[in-house]
Amino acid sequence: MLANEKKNPILFFLQESWLLMAAAIVFGSLLASLNAAWQPKIVQNEIDKFDTLAGRLLAGAESFESVPEVVPVNIGKGKTYSVEVKKGIDANGKTVGWAFVCEGAGFADKIKLVVATDAAFETLAGFGVLSSFETPGFGDKINIVDGFYQSQFKGTPVAELELTKIGDPEKVDNQIVSITGATVTSEAVVNIFNTFLLPIKEAMRSDGLLSDQLSVISYQ
Amino acid sequence: MSKEVSLGKTFTAGLWDNNPVLRLLLGMCPTLAVTAAVKPALTMGISVIFVLLFSNIVVSSIRHLLKPHVRILMFTLTIATAVTIADLYLKAFMPEMSASLGPFIPLIIVNCIIIGRAEACASKNGLMVSITDALGMGVGFTLTLCVLAAIREVLATGMIFEKAIPAFTDFYVPWAAMGMPVGAFITLGLMLGAVNMISKKTT
Repeated sequence: MLANEKKNPILFFLQESWLLMAAAIVFGSLLASLNAAWQPKIVQNEIDKFDTLAGRLLAGAESFESVPEVVPVNIGKGKTYSVEVKKGIDANGKTVGWAFVCEGAGFADKIKLVVATDAAFETLAGFGVLSSFETPGFGDKINIVDGFYQSQFKGTPVAELELTKIGDPEKVDNQIVSITGATVTSEAVVNIFNTFLLPIKEAMRSDGLLSDQLSVISYQ
Repeated sequence: MSKEVSLGKTFTAGLWDNNPVLRLLLGMCPTLAVTAAVKPALTMGISVIFVLLFSNIVVSSIRHLLKPHVRILMFTLTIATAVTIADLYLKAFMPEMSASLGPFIPLIIVNCIIIGRAEACASKNGLMVSITDALGMGVGFTLTLCVLAAIREVLATGMIFEKAIPAFTDFYVPWAAMGMPVGAFITLGLMLGAVNMISKKTT
């Protein structure tokens, strides 16, 4: 120890840790290079996945265009989630609906959804699952395209949704019948809708993207 | 000649005598979590082989420069780099698989097999032995995961590699529990019991 104390502390520090610093620089550079090379592909993959899911929900949508302003949504506990709303446009340039990504806590992990509404933001076009790790055989039934759970959201009014254990899943209203054995997951999806839908609608209306008459006006 | 034998033994040790899952009981988290189907299990296995190779090559190459107090830090830095590369690659070129494996690829960082081999083998041996050890351990891990996943996928869905098995389609009723965590525990327990039985008979 005494020998160490006599040494220049900076020199001693460099002698002891030069390998670690060199490795950090080399590995950091390697990761930065790979990230720069692959990031455009990763971003494109995310866009493609969103377009595929949203395109399935909004029939006729040829492309999706981002709304200029992101919508901050209060998700509780003082946290906000910035939502990028996208406008679905058909081949003639007409708005066919709106779609956005939202997320919330599920049973096992976060559930990330693509939600779509009609052009007036009055009726839901449905949802698609971007990512979820819910229980196989139970909660993962939310992933089934055109399954009874997903189908209930098609045509549902943009309003506060309510989860019920008994009901007619084919009836189009704001009551969503839960999946047997997966109440927590079913509730999580309904909570995501209730957290995001109305604040986004309100923000879009105040941004002038939806008129008071609830018809769509173009911002172009 | 003796070196070749030693390399062969090093490789085969990972497949059976020191199989990371069945004999050393390491890497249990991915073993239980990603073996509901063969495709994710195979992807996890190949990712672990890549990380093991990267980490063993780097650690073996710098083993004479390693000081005791920076040893673990260097291992962690190396493993984290390899795992990040694997994660980025999957996100870029296998996005569906990356989404289905979720956090389990980044969690390879805390897989005891990797740091265990860096400490037990790569930091004490030359490059060839370290590479062989990484391949042996990695292949042993991958094969175990694939066998476990194949049993579970067939029993849970009547399919293999997400393709229906003709002999099963007529009569088989899918056993959903095998696709759930309980299926992983039961199958792994039975596999461990079978391996113990076989190894007792052979010793």
